[in-house]
Amino acid sequence: MAAIFTVDPRSGVPLYLQLIEQVKRAVALGTLAPGEQLPTVKSLALDLTVNPNTVARAYRDLERDGIIETSPGRGSFVRSNGAPGEARRAAEDVAVAMLGEAIRQAKALGLERMRLEALLDDLVGRWFPPHGEE
Amino acid sequence: MEHSIAIRDLTKRYGNFTAVSGLTLEVEPGSICGLLGPNGAGKSTTFKCLLGLARPTSGSIAIEGKPLTPATFQDLAYVPEKSALYENLTLAEHLEYYRRCYARYDAARASELIDMFKLDRKKKVGKFSKGQRTAVSLILAFSLRPRIFVLDEPASGLDPIFQRLVLDLMIEAAAGGASVLFSSHQIGQVERAADRVAILKNGKLVVDGSVDELKTTEKIVEAIFATAAPDIDGLAADPRIRRIERSGRIIRAYVSDGSEAIAKRFEEFSPRDVSIMDLGLEDIFLTAVDGRDATIPHGDLP
Repeated sequence: MAAIFTVDPRSGVPLYLQLIEQVKRAVALGTLAPGEQLPTVKSLALDLTVNPNTVARAYRDLERDGIIETSPGRGSFVRSNGAPGEARRAAEDVAVAMLGEAIRQAKALGLERMRLEALLDDLVGRWFPPHGEE
Repeated sequence: MEHSIAIRDLTKRYGNFTAVSGLTLEVEPGSICGLLGPNGAGKSTTFKCLLGLARPTSGSIAIEGKPLTPATFQDLAYVPEKSALYENLTLAEHLEYYRRCYARYDAARASELIDMFKLDRKKKVGKFSKGQRTAVSLILAFSLRPRIFVLDEPASGLDPIFQRLVLDLMIEAAAGGASVLFSSHQIGQVERAADRVAILKNGKLVVDGSVDELKTTEKIVEAIFATAAPDIDGLAADPRIRRIERSGRIIRAYVSDGSEAIAKRFEEFSPRDVSIMDLGLEDIFLTAVDGRDATIPHGDLP
């Protein structure tokens, strides 16, 4: 079976953060449904060939953030209440950070504010095409 | 919790040559620690002292809180860089030897491992390739199910598939509570399997911390100016900066910590852009080994 997550160990982004982001994304997209069980720390560590403590740390942080819950002896599950909402909020945080970075770079490249706003408008329109009036 | 391995202030001199200097390193149960360093940095000497094969000039070694005794090796498996095997004995004969010597020897586990590495147990070890000998040493070590593994270049000579298998064996052992100290020249292996990395340079520990914490704090801060990059007071003396590169309008600082603060410092000089870039372990390694001598403080271990 293919691993449900992928990580890039060579990236400068800490592995536990990559895992947290992957789980949040899967919950936000519904790939992981509320109440669904996550792999055990050991099996995910072996699936991805990463350190078990790294996986355990990601799970601890996800539990703290209200995305998953762990019951001793049974395993870790996506929280039934509130997890998709939490994950969407988390997804928004990730998106804001990425957009912020893109805008910072555009400014550094010398784009004026008006021009940048017009370009952003265009780009948003490309991914959210208008389908009829409200 | 008791440390599985505790090396305290270890110094080893050979005549006038100091191979290891003031090394302190601890490995906890369930942890995998990767030891990196250029050739001659002191990795193998550290292993020799750790295993009682060389006498420390000063400092101490404790395994699970106790000094080394012959009984220590019932719970500790060592795989040397150059496999120490009997050329004229078959793999099966090596296994029989281990069965007699070690109470923890697990024959079923040994069979699984032989299948994984696809070796012929009737073959004399002298007829095996370098990679296959490494595999034999690993099979012997892992068939003991020890609580502590000390592995010197455990994947040397192995193809990428078996290298991955070695990492998986280490990960499985750590998930079961064993601790692993291994050296490698392949930074990618440490980056995957280790939760902790120690980098040696000229016998001294120059980086020691959790791999994820290092990636959180070690950054490049780059500022680009409209004209020539200004001189910034105090930058060269800042202990958080490992190295500064300047060329024309660009200043690049390799920092061990405090990247946000360094970026703010740059912004006071109205650059066109300041960015903070992440570093992989290879860059962290190269920066630490090329840069000036400084120990990065311990990161929070998971």
